[in-house]
Amino acid sequence: MRITCPYCGARGLEEFTYRGDATVTRPSSIDARATEAWVDYVYLRDNPAGLHKEFWQHSAGCRAWLEVARDTTTHEIVAVELAAKER
Amino acid sequence: MSQINRLMKRGLVDRDKSISFRFDGQRLEGHPGDTLASALLANGIRLVGRSFKYHRPRGVLTAGSEEPNALVELRTGAHREPNTRATTIELYEGLDAASQNRWPSLKYDLLSVNQLVSPIFGAGFYYKTFMWPASFWEKLYEPTIRRAAGLGYPSKQPDPDTYEKANAFCDVIVIGAGAAGLSAALSAARAGARVILCDEDFVLGGRLLAERGEIDGKPTQEWAAAAAAELESFPDCRILRRTTVFGVYDGGVYAAVERVGDHLRKPAPYTPRQRLWRIVAKQSVVCAGAFERPIVFGDNDRPGVMLASAVRTYVNRFGVTPGRAVVVFADNDAALSTAKDLSDSGVEVRAIVDPRPDASPTAGQAATAIGAEYVSGIVDSVSGAHGIKSVRIKDTQGRMTLFNCDLLAVSGGWNPAINLTTHLGGKPVWDEARSCLVPGALAPGMRVAGAAAGRFSLDACLASGETAGGESARDCGFSPAAPSRSAPAQDDERVTPVWHVQSRGGKAFVDLQNDVTVSDVKLAAREGFRVPDHLKRYTTLGMATDQGKTSNLNGAALLAEVTGRYLGSVGSTTFRPPYTPVAIGALAGHHRGKEFRPKRLPPSHRWAEENGAEFVEVGAWMRALMFPKSGETAQETVDREVANTRNNVGVCDVSTLGKIDVQGPDAGTLLDRVYINGFSKLPVGKARYGLMLREDGFAMDDGTTARLADDHFYMTTTTANAVRVSQHLEFCQQVLWPELDVQTVSQTEQWAQYAVAGPQSRKVIEALLDSGQDISNEAFPYMACGTFTVCGGTPARLFRLSFSGELAYEIGVPARFGDALIRAIMDDGAEHGIGPYGTEALGVMRIEKGHAAGPELNGQTTAHDLGLGRMMSRKKDFIGRFMGEREALNEASRATLIGLKPLDPKMRVSAGAHLVPRHAKADAANDQGYVTSQAYSPELESFIGLAMLSDGPARYGEVVRVCDPLRNYETLAEVCSPHFVDPEGERLRV
Amino acid sequence: MSDLQSVSALDGMLVSGRHGSPDGDAGVTLTERADLGLATLEVRRWQGAALDESVRTSYGVGLPSAPTCVEGKDVRFIGVAPGQWFAVSEALPNEMLADDLASKLRGKASVADHSSGRAVVRLEGSAVRSVLSKGLAIDLDPRVFVDGAAAVTSIGHMGVLIWRDTEAFDLAVFRSFAGSFCAWIEDASAEFGLDVVTRS
Repeated sequence: MRITCPYCGARGLEEFTYRGDATVTRPSSIDARATEAWVDYVYLRDNPAGLHKEFWQHSAGCRAWLEVARDTTTHEIVAVELAAKER
Repeated sequence: MSQINRLMKRGLVDRDKSISFRFDGQRLEGHPGDTLASALLANGIRLVGRSFKYHRPRGVLTAGSEEPNALVELRTGAHREPNTRATTIELYEGLDAASQNRWPSLKYDLLSVNQLVSPIFGAGFYYKTFMWPASFWEKLYEPTIRRAAGLGYPSKQPDPDTYEKANAFCDVIVIGAGAAGLSAALSAARAGARVILCDEDFVLGGRLLAERGEIDGKPTQEWAAAAAAELESFPDCRILRRTTVFGVYDGGVYAAVERVGDHLRKPAPYTPRQRLWRIVAKQSVVCAGAFERPIVFGDNDRPGVMLASAVRTYVNRFGVTPGRAVVVFADNDAALSTAKDLSDSGVEVRAIVDPRPDASPTAGQAATAIGAEYVSGIVDSVSGAHGIKSVRIKDTQGRMTLFNCDLLAVSGGWNPAINLTTHLGGKPVWDEARSCLVPGALAPGMRVAGAAAGRFSLDACLASGETAGGESARDCGFSPAAPSRSAPAQDDERVTPVWHVQSRGGKAFVDLQNDVTVSDVKLAAREGFRVPDHLKRYTTLGMATDQGKTSNLNGAALLAEVTGRYLGSVGSTTFRPPYTPVAIGALAGHHRGKEFRPKRLPPSHRWAEENGAEFVEVGAWMRALMFPKSGETAQETVDREVANTRNNVGVCDVSTLGKIDVQGPDAGTLLDRVYINGFSKLPVGKARYGLMLREDGFAMDDGTTARLADDHFYMTTTTANAVRVSQHLEFCQQVLWPELDVQTVSQTEQWAQYAVAGPQSRKVIEALLDSGQDISNEAFPYMACGTFTVCGGTPARLFRLSFSGELAYEIGVPARFGDALIRAIMDDGAEHGIGPYGTEALGVMRIEKGHAAGPELNGQTTAHDLGLGRMMSRKKDFIGRFMGEREALNEASRATLIGLKPLDPKMRVSAGAHLVPRHAKADAANDQGYVTSQAYSPELESFIGLAMLSDGPARYGEVVRVCDPLRNYETLAEVCSPHFVDPEGERLRV
Repeated sequence: MSDLQSVSALDGMLVSGRHGSPDGDAGVTLTERADLGLATLEVRRWQGAALDESVRTSYGVGLPSAPTCVEGKDVRFIGVAPGQWFAVSEALPNEMLADDLASKLRGKASVADHSSGRAVVRLEGSAVRSVLSKGLAIDLDPRVFVDGAAAVTSIGHMGVLIWRDTEAFDLAVFRSFAGSFCAWIEDASAEFGLDVVTRS
């Protein structure tokens, strides 16, 4: 598999580190009512057959964290963006 | 024996030169251009091996990489390689090959008695027969079966050859260099595309080398040579001969193995035996050709039974006739050219046997033209165990005719080589008109041309190849010329396939390599294995080195027949890489032996080597484990290093710890959010210990972070987690909190850092410092840090940190001075009794001090468990805070860090042992914790341990059982504080 | 001047002279570029324009926004990541480059010294692309990896920053991997012959 890093260009899978679901957001609240949100964030993941948004890091390249839109059934990579939108 | 079956003319072998080689010790001769198989056949050798299960005599069936039978052990000694296909081995001077699976000799094989008990060797035999007792499997059944059944033997010595890997990029990869592949490569290269053409053979041309047709008025062999020459002239066309593309991967990645030196007695100097290619291509054209399929009949495995197309290959390409009197048995008119080519070479063809229900006028005429008999019928039986002597033919009226012959050329039609088209999950589809599976949905950028696409005629191969090559180039942005050839609309005869015939002969083999017979397939079907993939696993049909290239479809057809289904709906097995076997050495390449993986050497490595260090791998790092003196035991060395550090002063290279520069106005805020304790208020010139959690509340890593300036921190991580912590910080910066103005970068490689520890350490450091710099306890107290110069102006960072528990410093200089600094430290420390210590002594001292390290930060422990619960800030959010505060992660009953002192100080507290109450039974129900670290403490003159124990800190003084059932070991130990030495930390602050 | 002797990353790792095949001219020549100034600069938040301006003022060149090299006064800047550059200098050797950058770009970029942290080697010769392709999984075709192109990637499982300077390739590998890198390059270049040039 190859991923086209927005900065470095297309590279082989071995240059990237997978992290997982890029659709989850870290809860901002740390009070007791937030338990459900935290459990969702830390433990619960969808496992879609089809298009999925995932975090990958170009760890052997520019070290940018990427949001990769990938079809889990065909491995087709539909889009790759830098996770950090501003610099 | 001379080359009795070598023809006077024809072929691409050089008859002017001879090559001598050995087979089973016998000295033989062939010519350049031969394969081992063609040379053996030239010498009249038909029997080349024994079969896998029944030890049946076997000969050469094919002329290519699909060969199921003619497997030999090639080369001798450490170079010996089993299961190589005689049909693909290029003959070289001095080649030495041996037949397999026979004892004591190929002709008289005692284990062929397996044939006599063959009824018990049917499908699922192992599963049914050797059910119990289970213990018999390992000790009795398996070794016995392995001795009786099996293929060749490996050398069992280290592989003496070298291998390498290489990467290549192109616009279009063309796989296979037959008529279609050469056309495809030509049209793509002429359009200007970067082309890579791979072919497993050593001569380009594929079937063009084996047939006698013409292209553009030239004989096919000449056309192939001209096409190859033209391709060579394109600077952007790379031709890889002897190269098998064995796997297709996502994103246009193709794996290939190039046999660089296999055709030589040994690889040329400085070159590898094989090279593994990873080729990235925008477009691909699969022109892998097709496999001729056999017709299954009784005793169809006898030497002398050969595929009709292979016979043509031997005659036309190698100038060898595999027999002198021939019968052709084919269900298609294409195979008639075998009879004609033989006859034209002066070989007698006695009969053409046609099993099709309707007799073919073409076949009849072809027979008449060469003076052979045409029989509409089947092969009923074959005689001659070590090589056929005659065949008995049964015609449609049931009349029998006996033909004396030594070669039976068989053809049941053709199967496209679809293997590579299915590696990414593409399902082949059944083509009823051609009676074969053809490629279905293809991977992105992939095209299939020629016989691999089911377009078998020469015109169709040339035209489809040209079109596919041009289209591939066009899709890469080039402008190919309009195709010069057009494919005939209906290019192939309609096929009436005959998969097997009911004959009187003995076993009828579907899979020759695995000795799977018609009755095995029928039995499996009766027992419910109705899917090809299930059939494969139950009967082994389609397994091993050939992966069923000549058997899968016959097996599926038989399965369809037995289960009363339409063949097109039965499906096929799933092909996965590799297409043909690949040596493990090729996959490893350079990375074997001491280069198994790249090693990291710390700055003091050379000095440590000079001083007799023993090393240990810590991740990729080579760290000094200890510095033994002659005559010492390992324990004595470690004890000495510990004692010297505690009493005088020691030095240890700690450069391997992860070092991360954290800069920017928000550096403190980032650290507050990744550590459980606060850092933004840490004064400049101070360092602090910090613990990081994962978001689920469990400990991830720990280390010390120093503040060098308002906007500049210097973080250290454990050696093992350096990479992980960097990635974690980058995720925090880029994804979680991009609004923070903070930058991080690894500085691990930049700084050589040494721990100088012991009561005399200040004197050693003072001697290094340039004058005028004060590091007295008052000026530079415990946990101070700062920038200094040493040894005449070298910039240095100094930290008053201690892992050992003694007065200690860590001193860092740019790594280029690292070697000189360790020497300077040793020189300046000599008068204070300095000695180096390795990771083993380091480990002892940290255990004596109760510092958690890798064994305690094991992914299952929380801040509470490590005794650091009170460090968790309540004033800020940080990674892991919310989940880490969950009640269950903070209960006293959780296993918590404690120390263990054995009642008998000479008894080890073995790491990994479980803790149970003193008078309880040692079982899982009473398991209350486990030992994480153990050491011998010279200071306490006792073994000691660190452990995680339920409600640990409340149980100091209690005696527990330390049970290590794995090592069959047990002892009693007293629970105590993990701080064995200097619990108040007085030594740190002097 | 320090009393401590500086040791280059490749010191003692490769013997000077011919390695591998002794036939004909060596296909590859390896030269260590020791004592270079090496540093990273990473832009601070919202300081992109200001940083670019400062670099233009001090070094006479704008920072590239892609993985390519620009040659400024005394310093070559190589794009290595979004908002991050690797600076290389002969004129400002060793630790001097990072000090110079830090003082001139204060508040606009975070600067870190890597002059000791990398081994920089120059590879050139007729077989240089063939040798590199045995470990680098990037397309080195001269029309793709053009003069001045750069890439952060791996070579033989070791992290590397590579940039092309006319017909030569400069490779910066981590200092601790220097020994393994040398073993790899010796193997990879054996069929073509390798000339190792060390400073006397």
